[in-house]
Amino acid sequence: MKPILLLLAVLLPMSAGVLLCIIKLKTDRAIKAFTAVATLSTSALTWALILHCPNESITLLHFAERLAVVFRFDALGRFFAGILATLWPITVLYAFSYMEHEQRRQSFFGFFTICFGVALGISMSGNLFTMYIFYELLTLATTPLVIHTLTKKAVNAAKTYLVFSLGGAAFVFAAMIFLISNGAYGEFHFGGLLTRYPYDNANITQIFYLLGFLGFGVKAAIFPLHVWLPRASVAPTPVTALLHAVAVVKAGVFAVMRLTYFSFGTALLKGGWVQSVVMSVAIFTILFGASKAVREPHWKRRLVYSTVANLSYILFGVTMMTEAGFTAALMHMAFHACVKILAFFCAGAVLCRTGRELVTQLDGLGRRMPRSFAAFTVAALALTGIPPLNCFVSKWQLLTAAADSENPLAYVGAGVLLLAALLTAIYMLSTVRRAWFPSKETDLSALEGIRDADWRMVVPFVILSLGVLLTGLFATPILHAAQQIAQGR
Amino acid sequence: MLILFLVLFPLAAAPLSYGIGRRSKRGRDAFAVAVGALELGLALAAFLQRHGQLELPGLCGQKLLLELDGFRSVYVCVIALMWFVTLLFSPEYNLHHHNRNRYYFFNLMTLGATMGVFLAGDLFTAFVFFEIMSFTSFPWVIQEETPGAIKAGNTYLAVAVIGGLVALMGLFLLQTKLGTTQIDALYALAAACEDKGSLYLAGACVLFGFGAKAGMFPLHIWLPKAHPVAPAPASALLSGVLTKSGIWGILAISCNIFRADPAWGTVLLVLGCVTMFLGALLALFSVDLKRTLACSSMSQIGFILVGIGTMGLLGAENALAARGALLHMLNHSLFKLLLFLCAGVVYMNLHCLDLNEIRGFGRGKPLLQTAFLLGALGIGGIPLLNGYISKTLLHEGIVEAAAEYGWTLKLVEWVFLCSGGLTLAYMTKLYVAIFLEKHPKKQEDYDARRRYMDPASTLALCLAAIPLPVLGLSASWSMNALADIGTDFFHSGALAHAVHFYAWENLKGALISVAIGAAVYLLIVRKLLMKNGAYRNCWPSRLDLEELLYRPLLLHGLPAFFGAIAALFGENRILAPLSRALLRLASILVHAVCDLTDALILLLRNTVYRTRTLHQEDEVRDTLMYRLGKDVDAIEIRLGREQKGQTRYAQLFYRAYRTFRETSIRITGNLSFALFMLTAAICLIFFYIIVLQ
Repeated sequence: MKPILLLLAVLLPMSAGVLLCIIKLKTDRAIKAFTAVATLSTSALTWALILHCPNESITLLHFAERLAVVFRFDALGRFFAGILATLWPITVLYAFSYMEHEQRRQSFFGFFTICFGVALGISMSGNLFTMYIFYELLTLATTPLVIHTLTKKAVNAAKTYLVFSLGGAAFVFAAMIFLISNGAYGEFHFGGLLTRYPYDNANITQIFYLLGFLGFGVKAAIFPLHVWLPRASVAPTPVTALLHAVAVVKAGVFAVMRLTYFSFGTALLKGGWVQSVVMSVAIFTILFGASKAVREPHWKRRLVYSTVANLSYILFGVTMMTEAGFTAALMHMAFHACVKILAFFCAGAVLCRTGRELVTQLDGLGRRMPRSFAAFTVAALALTGIPPLNCFVSKWQLLTAAADSENPLAYVGAGVLLLAALLTAIYMLSTVRRAWFPSKETDLSALEGIRDADWRMVVPFVILSLGVLLTGLFATPILHAAQQIAQGR
Repeated sequence: MLILFLVLFPLAAAPLSYGIGRRSKRGRDAFAVAVGALELGLALAAFLQRHGQLELPGLCGQKLLLELDGFRSVYVCVIALMWFVTLLFSPEYNLHHHNRNRYYFFNLMTLGATMGVFLAGDLFTAFVFFEIMSFTSFPWVIQEETPGAIKAGNTYLAVAVIGGLVALMGLFLLQTKLGTTQIDALYALAAACEDKGSLYLAGACVLFGFGAKAGMFPLHIWLPKAHPVAPAPASALLSGVLTKSGIWGILAISCNIFRADPAWGTVLLVLGCVTMFLGALLALFSVDLKRTLACSSMSQIGFILVGIGTMGLLGAENALAARGALLHMLNHSLFKLLLFLCAGVVYMNLHCLDLNEIRGFGRGKPLLQTAFLLGALGIGGIPLLNGYISKTLLHEGIVEAAAEYGWTLKLVEWVFLCSGGLTLAYMTKLYVAIFLEKHPKKQEDYDARRRYMDPASTLALCLAAIPLPVLGLSASWSMNALADIGTDFFHSGALAHAVHFYAWENLKGALISVAIGAAVYLLIVRKLLMKNGAYRNCWPSRLDLEELLYRPLLLHGLPAFFGAIAALFGENRILAPLSRALLRLASILVHAVCDLTDALILLLRNTVYRTRTLHQEDEVRDTLMYRLGKDVDAIEIRLGREQKGQTRYAQLFYRAYRTFRETSIRITGNLSFALFMLTAAICLIFFYIIVLQ
C-alpha cells in the first residue's frame, strides 16, 4: 500500500464528519448508516494500513525549511492507531443506542467522526509540527462534543476544557520552538532528534522538556492540570468513554511518549532532575486520582478519577525511561483503554435506562440489568488487577519495570501502585457489591420495570469483556509489539 | 494433558451448568454431580500418574506452569472427593434457596481455580488461580444475602483483596530478587542469594497473603464470620479446601526458600500456637453449631502451622513433623467435610444453628449420630481414628524439637496438648447438645422427623464418614503410604525409625488431652458456660479483632488519611485559590492593556474628535470617578470659569469608567487565562532567543 493512503485515512472521516454537520439528513436511519459506513471504512482502511503500509514518510507541505507537514506510520503510531481503529466502531454502535435519548444527533455524529480522523492524524504524524497541528485540532473538534447538551454545566465544562487545553498548547509550543531551533525538526526518530546541545547546559534542555511534558500533560490529566477531565464528564457517555478515557487523554500520553523517546531522547533526560520531577508528578497523580475516586459518589466522575490515576500509571512507565518501562506503559495504554471503555459503557447504560448517576443509587440494579453489570464486574475486576484479566498483566509489567529500573523513586512508585490497587479495589468492587447484593433496606420494588440494555449495547459489552479476558490470557502478541516499539525497531 | 484437563474441565463446565440451569433445575443438579464424579475420576487417574509438568507459555504475559507430584496428586484426590460429596449433598440442601444457578456456576469455577492453585508449579501461576478462587468463592459467602451474610462477605472480600495484594508484593520481590518463582528452583536460588533481608520481607508478604486465606492469626477474622453464613456444602469446602490452599502457599515457601530455617520456623510456631489455642478457645465459647466448627477449623490450621514450624526448627531431621503436617491437612479436610455436612443436615431441617434451639434434634437418628461421632472423635484425636495418627506425629515432632531446644518447646507441647483437650471439650459440647440432651419444648416434633434427608444426601454423608475409620484402622500401611507419597513436596529428611502409633509414649499424649478435655468440659462448659440448662455465649462481644482494630483502621483511618490528602490538594483548597490568583493576575494585565487603549480612544475623542454635548445621565452612581469629576467641576467653578451643564466632568469620568468596565469584563471573561499562558510562553521564547542564543 502506498503511504499516500495515510492521508485518505485521515481525511475520509474528517470530510465525512464535516459533510454530516453541513447537509441535513432526513431520517435517523440515514444518519446512522452514514456514520456507520464512514467509521467502518476508516477502521478497515486503518487496519489495512497498520498491516501493510511501509514505514516511509510522505511530505505534504513545506512551510519553511524547518516546518513541514509530514505523515509517517511507524510502530508506535500503528500501536495507537490500532487501539483507536478497534474501539471506535464498537463505540459508534453503542452510541447509536445511547444517543436515542439525546438531541442534535446529527451534529454529534458529525463531530464524533471528525474526531476519529483527527486522532488518527496524531498517530500518523511524522514530525512534531504535524502532531502539534492535529493535537490542537483535536481540542477544537472535541469541544462541541463536550458542550453537546448545552446545559450551563456543559458550557462551563467546555470553557474549562478550552482554557486548560489552550494553556497547555502554549507550553507545548515553547518546547516545540526549542526543539526546532536546535535541529530537532526532522521526522521522529527513536532515541531523540536533538543534534545540537545548547551551551553544554543540560538544565535548559530539561526545562523545556518539563514545559513540553506539562503541556501535553494537560490532556494526560496530570495532577494540577486534571481539573477539566472530571468536569467534562457531563458529555454524553460515548464521548466520556471513547474520548475522555481513550482518544483524547491517550493522545496526551502518546504525545508525551513522542516527546520523551522520539524528540528529546532518553539519553539526555535519564537521571536528570527533570526525570525525578515528572516521575513524582506521575506517582502523586496515581495516589491522588485513586483517593479522589474513593471519595467520589458520582459514578461517572468516579470512573473519571480512576482514569486520572490510570493515565499516570502509563506516564509512570514512560518516565522510567527504560525499555521495560516503555513496554509496560504501552501495554497499560492498550489494556486500560479496553477496560475503561467497558466500565463507562455500563455506567452509560444505567444512566440511559434509569437516569441514576450516583453510586449510592445502584443498590440491587444488578438483578434488573444483569448484562450491564456482568460487564461492569469484568471491568472492575480487571481494573483492580485480578488475574487472568488484562490489567493484571500490564500492572505486573509496570512493577517489574519499576524494580528493574534501579531508580529509587521508581521503588516508591511500585509501592504506590500496590496501594492504588487497594484503593481501586475499594472504589470499583464496592460499586459491584452494591449492584448485586443490595442491603436489605433497599426498596427493590422501585426497580420494577427497568429494562436491561438493548443489543446495540450488549454487543459492545460482550466484545469488550471477551477482549479484556483474552488479551489478558494471551497477552504475548501485544507484549511483543510493545517490546519492539520500546527497542526502537 | 491430564493436568490441564483437571483445571480447565470444571471451568468450562461452569457456564454449561448455568445454561442448563436456565432450562431445568434437575438437569443442572445431575450435571453438576456428573462433573464432580468425572473430576474425581480424573483425580484418581492423576494419582496413578503422579508425575508430570505442563508449561503454558505466553499466558498472562508470562507463562503458566502446572505440575503434578506426589503431594499434589494426593491433594487433588482429596479436593475432587470433597467436591463430589458436597455436590451430591447440595441439591437437597439448596432446595429452598434462590440463586441456585449462581451457586453452581461459582462452585464449579472455584473447583477449577482451586485445582489450579494446588497444581501450580510456580508461585505466579498459584497466585493467578488463587485470586480467581478468592473472587469466585465470594458469592458462596454472600449466597443467602442476609445482612449478616453481606457483612461477612465484605469482610471476606476485604481480607481476600488485601491478602492478594500483599502476596503479590511478596511474589514480586521474589521475582526480582531470585529471577523466578518456580517452586523447584527456589531453594538453590535462595541459598545463593546474598540479600537475606529482602527474602524475609518477601516471605513475610507471601505468608501474610496465604496466611489470610488459611485463617492464621491475626488474619483469621473472616473465618468465624464467613463459615456460619455460607451454605453448609460451601462451608465444608471453604474450611476443608480453601484454607488448605493458604497452607499450600505457606508450605511452598517454608519448604523451599526457608527450608530448615530456625528463625522462620520460630515465627510459624508462635503464630501456629496462638492460632491453635485461640481457635479452640473461641470454639469452646461459641453457641452456634457452624461457628464452633469454623473456629475449630482455625484451631486445626494452627496445629498444621505448628507442624510446619517444627519442621523449620528441626532442620534435616524433620520427617516426623512433615508427615504430621501433611496427614493433619488431609485429615482435617475429611473431618470438616463430614462435620459440616452434619451441620448442613441439621440446618436444612431446622433452619437454625443455635445450640439451644437444635438441642435434641439428633436423638433417635443413628446414622447422623454415628457420622457426627466419628467426626468428633476423629478431630479430637482419639485412638483408632485417623486424627490420632496425625496428632501423634505432630506431637512426636514437638517432643523431638524439645529435646533440642529445651523449655520453650516444652511450653509449646503443653499448649498443643491443651488445645487438643479443648478440641475434645467443644466437640463433646456439640455432641451432648445435639444427640443427648432434650429440647425443652420441641422434642416431640424433632423425634417425629424420621425422614430427615434424601438418599443422595445420605450417600454423601456415608461417603464422607467412611474414610475416617478406614484410614484410622489401617494407619500403619495406608497413612504411612500416603505420607511417603505426599512428603516429596515438603523436602523433608528421611524417617529415622518407624513410628509405633500405639506405643505407651504416644498414647500418653492422647490420654493427657482426653483428661484435659474431660476436665474442661465438666468444670468450664457445664459449670460456667451453662446457666439454667441453657448454653450462654460468655465471650465478650467487644473482644473482636475486626471491630476493635481492622474496621476502624480501614474504614476510618485510611479514608481519613487519603481524604486529607485529596482534600488538601483538592480543587477547593489549593487549586481553586491558585487558579483564581492566576486569573486575577491575568485580568490585571489585560485590564492594563485594554485600559490603555481605551484611554487612548478617549483621549482622541476629547481632542481630535471632540463631541460637543453630553446628555444628562439618568442614573449616576456614587463612584470614585464620579466624585473625582465632581471635584474637577468644583475646581473649575472655583477658578471662575463659566459652565453650561452642571456636572460636566463628573459625567465624563463616569462614562469613561463604565466603558472601561464593560470592555474589560468582556475580554477577560473567557480567554484571559489562555492569553496569559500564551503571553508567558512567548515571553519565555523571546527571553530564550534574545538572551541565550
